[in-house]
Formats: sequence, structure tokens, C-alpha cells
Amino acid sequence: MRDVREQNTGSWLGLVLRDAQFWVPVGVLVAGLLVLRWIS
Amino acid sequence: MLCGVTAGAWLGAAEAPTKLVTLGLSPVVISLSMVIGVFLARWTIPALIQGTSYVAADLRQAPHLIVWAVLAGCLWAVANTLTIFAVRDVGLSIAFPLWNSNSLLGIIWGIVFFRELRGADRRRWLGVIGGALLMFVGGTALAAASAAQVPAKDAMRGVAAALAAGALWGTMYIPYRKAYLTGMSPLSFITFFTVGELGMMTALALTYSGGATELWSQLSGAKHVLFWLLAGGFVWVVGDLFQQYAVKYAGITRGIPLSNTNQLWGLLWGILVFGELRGASQSVLAQVIGGSLVMAIGAGLIALSSVSGTEHARWEEAAADEAGRYGVDPEYTRARIAGEDAGSRRRRTWIDWAVVTVATAVIVRFALVARSPQIALNTGWAIALVMATLAMLALAASSLWRTTRFN
Repeated sequence: MRDVREQNTGSWLGLVLRDAQFWVPVGVLVAGLLVLRWIS
Repeated sequence: MLCGVTAGAWLGAAEAPTKLVTLGLSPVVISLSMVIGVFLARWTIPALIQGTSYVAADLRQAPHLIVWAVLAGCLWAVANTLTIFAVRDVGLSIAFPLWNSNSLLGIIWGIVFFRELRGADRRRWLGVIGGALLMFVGGTALAAASAAQVPAKDAMRGVAAALAAGALWGTMYIPYRKAYLTGMSPLSFITFFTVGELGMMTALALTYSGGATELWSQLSGAKHVLFWLLAGGFVWVVGDLFQQYAVKYAGITRGIPLSNTNQLWGLLWGILVFGELRGASQSVLAQVIGGSLVMAIGAGLIALSSVSGTEHARWEEAAADEAGRYGVDPEYTRARIAGEDAGSRRRRTWIDWAVVTVATAVIVRFALVARSPQIALNTGWAIALVMATLAMLALAASSLWRTTRFN
């Protein structure tokens, strides 16, 4: 049962990482952190 | 649409505590304190309305949305910190329109990623795009009206902070829309959103305050005003909740520009309660009134461009794609988009009451040591604005309950 759950978790995490839309907010977040570092 | 406008009133009111930055508190301490208030509110409100078991049931249907919610929370925390730097450097009246450019970015993401406005007739395209542009023009006029009152040295840094906050918030609507196309209840989404929010904000506060000891010392030094910041975070959550419902039922393209009427409310708080622009020239005041009217017309145009049946069919296609990609039950997605319960039951357990009790105790604890901030304000106008904001809450909440039962 536990193995199945872990497998499912890995599966949906993999789907998120393969979703191109996921990397747009990630990129913007990194850029925002850089701006914050610059202005503070 | 009603949710979008109500969100504007509450989000505008929540910006008022950021004026405390003028008392010399560090921006990260202000942001962290607001986020703690947000955290408390975001666990309390869903626990009271739905119960945590409802949140857990939502999560079993779409566990991948935890990642999206945490990511959205991280975006929010960085954006909120940037806005506090922006308010410090260029003032509320200028910073607001700049970070509200997020609606233009949100519209682009809505069209590109989620098929919003596809299948809409020309009148609706014109209403949404034209309305958003009018709001941007109005916002820019408001910014120009008070730009002359800011020292040039700080202006560039403040403008950069406000624009970056706009980009982060505009992009945050990608996770929002993804969650609501899948069918998740906004009350469930925000519960996990806030984990990313508090985690990211704590990391930022530790980094920029010089470590845990220094941060603790700053928080202790500010304990007499922390309650007001917590309260600001709480008010923000109410506004954000309505914004999330607006995004769910009206899409990014309508929900976000409407909730960006918060700029008008922020302006009302700034001018009427905090006395901003006092002593300004006639031409500056004319610019402020003109800019506000243009913004209001833009919001009106968007409100009149409701979603057509054809466009809604395209949303359903996007939702089906989303459900297919992540293996979510299509019946759950369909029911939730229609505002139905999809078999989940609302019941409150001891966990819910424990969450509410702990959150209330924390807020009361801070309230007991709170002192009125030493900042000049007009109490009469403050009461009037609070009453208007509460009236909008009552209207929108009763309407939402009748039509969706807060799904």
C-alpha cells in the first residue's frame, strides 16, 4: 500500500515537472528574488 | 464579477498597514508579520467554512496541486516583500498602479495557457482588453500625479520593486487558474498556498535580517504594532479569497482586472484617511480624479463583458485537458467547475476547532500588547471606509453562498 502511494506521489510530481507551464512561474520567482536582492 | 469588485475593496484596505513602514520598521519584518496574519486566516477561514476534512478530500482528488499552491505562495511572499520596499521608496499612490500592471500579464497568461476569451465575440474582446488598458492608463495617471513628490534617488529602486511585484503577482494567477480549472475549491487551495508563503517569507526574513537572533530582536521591538500588521494580513486574505472565486468563476481575464480596483480603494485610504496628497496643486488633484475615473470606467467595461457560452465551452476543454494530464476524475472537475460539491461532505472535527482556537489565541495575545500606531489618520473616514467594505463583504458572501455554497 505504502509503495503504491509513493509510486503515485512520484508519478504526479513527475507530471508537474514535465508540465511546461510549471517552469514559467518558477522562472519569474527566481527573477523576483534577484530583483529583491538588488534593491535591498 | 461581484467577487472581483469586493476583492478590490478588501485588498485595498489591507494595504493600509503597510503605511507603518514610515514608522521605521524593516520591510521584511512588516511582510513577515503580515504573512503570519495571512497564515492564521488561511487556516482559520477554511476550517470554519468547510472543515479540514473537506480540504483533505480535495487533496486526494488532485494531490499535484500541492506543488502549484506552494509555488503560488512563494510568488506571493516575494511580491509582497517587494511592494513594501516600493511603498517605502515611492509611496502607496505611485507603487499601487505599477504593481497593478499584474492584470495585463494575467490576461496574457489567461489567453495563452487557459483558452480564455477564445470563442468570445469582438465586443467581449474589446471590453476586456480595452478595459484593462484603460485601467492601466488611469493607474499611470495616478502615478504621474504624485511622482514629483518623490526623491529621485529612491524612485528607480521603488519603481523596479513595484514592477517586479506586478510580474510575480501576474504570474501567480497561472497556479490559481490551474487549480480552479481542475476543480479545487479556493478554500482548499489557499490552505497549501500559505505553507509556501510562510516558508518563503521566513527564509527571506532570516536572510535579510541577518539571522534568527536579529530577526527575533526586531520582532520583539515591534511587538506593539504587530497586531495591526497581522490584522492587515487577515484583511488581505478575505480580499484574496474573493479574488480567487472571481478567477474561478469569471476567469483571470475578468477577475483580476476587477479586483485591481483595489487601487481606487488604496487611493481612498491614502487620501482620506492618511492625508496623502494634502496640499497638492489643483492640476495634481485633477489628474488623480481623472485617473480614478478612467480606472473605474475600465473596470465597468470588463464587468459588462461576461463570459459567453462559447467561451465557457473552451474553458471546459482546457479543464478536460488539465484533468487528463494529471489523471483527475473528469466528473469531479465538471461538478466543481459548476460550483457543486462532487460528493465531498462538510463536517467539522476537533481539529478544526483546535485550529480556530489557536489562531484566535495568537491574535488576542498580540491585540493585548498592541498600541495605536503614532500615525496621523482621519478616524471618521476610516470608519466610513470600514463600513463600506463590510457591506460589500456581506453582499458578496451571501450571493456566493446562494449560488455555489463556497465551492
